[in-house]
Amino acid sequence: MDIWLPENVSTFGQGVDNLFILIYWITLIAFILVTATLIAFLILYRHRPGHKATYIEGSTKLEITWTTATTVIVFGLALLSYPQWNRIKSPTELPPADVVVEVSAKQFNWDMTYPGPDGEFDTEDDLQLENQLHVPVDKIVHIRLTSVDVIHSFFVPNLRLKQDTLPNRFITVWFEATKPGRFEIPCAELCGFQHSGMLGYLTVHSQADYDAWKAERWPPQ
Amino acid sequence: MNPTDIEITESRPLSNAKLAIFILLGAETMLFVGLIGAFLVFRMGSVTWPPISHAEINLPRLVTGINTILLIISGYTMFQALRAIQKDKIKQLRNMLIFTGVLGLLFLGIQGSEWIQLIGKGLTLQSGIYGGIFYVLIGCHALHVFGAVIWLAIVTGKAIRFKYSYTHHTGVETCTIYWIYVVALWPILYILVYLA
Amino acid sequence: MQDNENKSHENDNDEHHLPANGDNGTESHDHDHDHDHDHDHDHVHDHDHDHDHDHAHNHEESFISKYIFSLDHKMIGKQFLLYGLIMFFVGGGLALLFRWQLAYPERPVPIIGASQQYIDDGEVVTAADRMWEKIFDSDKEEWLEVNMPSGVIEPAFYNMLFTMHATIMVFFVVVPILVGAFGNFLIPLMIGTRDMAFPVLNMLSFWLAVLAAIIMTAGFFVPGGHAAAGWTGYAPLSADPQWTGVDWGQNLWAISLLIQGFSSLVGSINYITTVINMRAPGMTFFRLPLVIWSLFIVAILLLLAFPVLSSALALLIFDRLAGTTFFSSTAEGGGDPLLWQHLFWFFGHPEVYILILPGMGIASEILPVFSRKPIFGYHSMVYAMITIAFMGWIVWGHHMFQSGMQPGLGTFFMTTTMLIAVPSAIKTFNWLGTLFRGSIRFTTPMLHGIAFVSMFVIGGLSGIYMANTPVDIYIHDTYYIVAHIHYVVFGGSLFAIFGGIIYWFPKMYGRHMNDTLSKIHFWLTFIAFNCTFFPMHILGVGGHMRRISNPMQYEFLQGFQGINIFITMSAFTLGFAQLILLYNFFWSMARGKVAEKNPWNVTTLEWEAPTPVPHGNFAQIPTVYRGPYEYSVPGEESDWIPQAQPEHAPATGGD
Repeated sequence: MDIWLPENVSTFGQGVDNLFILIYWITLIAFILVTATLIAFLILYRHRPGHKATYIEGSTKLEITWTTATTVIVFGLALLSYPQWNRIKSPTELPPADVVVEVSAKQFNWDMTYPGPDGEFDTEDDLQLENQLHVPVDKIVHIRLTSVDVIHSFFVPNLRLKQDTLPNRFITVWFEATKPGRFEIPCAELCGFQHSGMLGYLTVHSQADYDAWKAERWPPQ
Repeated sequence: MNPTDIEITESRPLSNAKLAIFILLGAETMLFVGLIGAFLVFRMGSVTWPPISHAEINLPRLVTGINTILLIISGYTMFQALRAIQKDKIKQLRNMLIFTGVLGLLFLGIQGSEWIQLIGKGLTLQSGIYGGIFYVLIGCHALHVFGAVIWLAIVTGKAIRFKYSYTHHTGVETCTIYWIYVVALWPILYILVYLA
Repeated sequence: MQDNENKSHENDNDEHHLPANGDNGTESHDHDHDHDHDHDHDHVHDHDHDHDHDHAHNHEESFISKYIFSLDHKMIGKQFLLYGLIMFFVGGGLALLFRWQLAYPERPVPIIGASQQYIDDGEVVTAADRMWEKIFDSDKEEWLEVNMPSGVIEPAFYNMLFTMHATIMVFFVVVPILVGAFGNFLIPLMIGTRDMAFPVLNMLSFWLAVLAAIIMTAGFFVPGGHAAAGWTGYAPLSADPQWTGVDWGQNLWAISLLIQGFSSLVGSINYITTVINMRAPGMTFFRLPLVIWSLFIVAILLLLAFPVLSSALALLIFDRLAGTTFFSSTAEGGGDPLLWQHLFWFFGHPEVYILILPGMGIASEILPVFSRKPIFGYHSMVYAMITIAFMGWIVWGHHMFQSGMQPGLGTFFMTTTMLIAVPSAIKTFNWLGTLFRGSIRFTTPMLHGIAFVSMFVIGGLSGIYMANTPVDIYIHDTYYIVAHIHYVVFGGSLFAIFGGIIYWFPKMYGRHMNDTLSKIHFWLTFIAFNCTFFPMHILGVGGHMRRISNPMQYEFLQGFQGINIFITMSAFTLGFAQLILLYNFFWSMARGKVAEKNPWNVTTLEWEAPTPVPHGNFAQIPTVYRGPYEYSVPGEESDWIPQAQPEHAPATGGD
């Protein structure tokens, strides 16, 4: 059984995973060092008859050392995260869209609205599907997220993408899938009694498949 | 009294009661920070204020302005009450306390009548966030004034029964601190809610 | 408020309500100074006994005034402890219920799941039916039908269970025990005073908390069920009954928390005043034990944070009952759902530090005592706590990275959050420094103290993942955060609580807790805790969402079911281990080994008071001559010098 991150299929996902793995190693090493020190101290300085504890009140030099070291590490991590975060979430760095889909969350479904052949929303040829998100591979997809009732959260584990949806507000997120396949879109924010089981599917098509799907589902009427 | 016990008493810059009131005011401030924060979030999040749905509503700025002055005067008279007892003038203490209480009640009365008029004009708790936050924020302050008036009434009652003296008047002090806090809070709310 | 004035005068003249101590003051004074540390057990014992005797004579308190509406800080502390422990079992029981559902979705809960036959016809088939028959009248079978048909936990009921588990654990267990119980019991004793500044307010604080707990528990039995919007109560889910179907449950939740807020307010006014004004002579701020520092800082945090929650709860109640739309943006002229999150977390993040700081304080008492060494870097420990308390106010947005808050704010909050890791790291290194070249005694409180440090390390390190905005995109709202919070609050706060209970038990009840049972409890808890919560990190990395009742509904989570079952089994073991604590607690209260005045050879003032501590605590208010951690001072014969021991006196105690 796989007990690590699920397969990543988005262009920015690797950046998230790299940061995750970096933090994993930093925290693992920190944990091992601290725990090893702790255990060593517990063994070395256990109470033995005749031995007395040494009176040490502290050490300013050490305090400064570990304060600086921790500050440097956490600041370094913060610096590494800025570009990744902005790339995924910043509205100013949003890459231009090849495909736009409107996703409206409601208790307990994802309503996916496609603009239809005219490329415009709120026109007659819009296509509405429940829980089925179809996108082409290697294309930049914009998802305009909203909700009709409470807060939900659009979560695609394989894309490393998560964004809460808010009623009466549109939030645009983007992704570019790197591999065709079918992936799950659970709701990640408690949204009511059937929150568990609120589930959509993302189907990433190869360009040819996508065109075929479009031809079938977006017939010019 | 043990000698050490005396030492503790004398090293305190503030008595327990006064200190407790100041600490309480810290919590009161945070309560209003929460409500004013909510007000500001709505205010900043709305293109126009009042929102278009309530564009016709005019808050009674002038009357409330006069009311503001009344409340500030009551703060002054309350302070005079404290000064009076510090100089051991019991009669002046009584008069000033009563005067302050009357001003406080007058403030509440005027505000109440304004509320009745506003409700008549259609601004209610249910009229969107504009009406909602208005009544909750102003009402929360009014409740504090009401509480302060009740406290003042108790203090006045004690003053009339000669319970305070030059040396023993912590009750007057704490009540003054609270009263002045409630008075000082009001102009901020007036400017935020009525003027700005 | 009005009687504050009178109260303060009373406190100025403490001996007025302490005739017993006044009478035999000189006598016990001699005892104290001549024989305090000479380990003359019998003698100390006699003295205590006499004292008690006199005490009882002069204080003819009725049962009600002594045990129920008590004004004595020690009794109120014990009341809070009992209250917290009772709620601990309620909250833990709820957790076990939903853990069953997670491991075996849609299967009847064993032992307590009533059969459908019983629910339909009232016909008793199983043992569980018999139990429900005893608890409920026949008309309450409807309750079972709604929540647990055929003994299976319904999704709506599941939501109530985890909502109440968290609410109870946070507001009715950890805070009441850490702040209510330890705060009340320890502050006057450790700063060397006779009682809290405002004993009546202190009693009020406890009884308000009881009222809040009753209202919170009652929510399960109102029509529509209990609050089901999570302990964070995110609006609009919590703001309008139509989204959850929960009507009065959510209202009672909000009202109960408002009352709990009043209780905390009253308590913290009391604590802050007491620490500032009533310290014994010589007890400067930098001679305060660290646990008192932590409780003092926490009182300030509670004082300033809870009113913000109260304001949010008031708005929520208006939304639910008066038709306002503060938190729903769907309505005409509606408000902002994110406002709730901002207000909640502006309170909520300081609240998280309220949950952990006293734990840090308790660990900082236990580690030096059983290492026989001063705490490493006392001043930096204090400044680290103050920094944490200050910075706790500017990190709340890290709960909201994926909420739709402006991403630029996310960057700001990530930076502040990363920085708050620094004082936490400083504290950890200082605890390690305390052990360095010590003489470590592995007593049960010490085991808990060490467990606290190591679990806090894991909880702290796992926090870095969530603080990092890009990584948080993935692990936000997964089991990773569940693992993190439990490592901090269970691994941290609860181990500190267990350690603190065992450590101060001799002073509280005059007896030791049974050490064998305590050790069994510790090891079972430590192992079961890690088996329960460590695998949750793995679930989180796999993307397992929190707050879902049935992971089997998702293809990508089906592979994790084995882990879920393992976690549930460990959770049941963990729950069972706590029964040992409960048994040990009550058994030792009556039958435990009788404790001496200062069984652990501790320097701080609470151990100067006789055991059991009489009304008024000290025969004579002690004078403090030094800091709280004078262990193994070079050139001294004894390895500990009590805070109250006069300067240049020949060393007395210790071995």
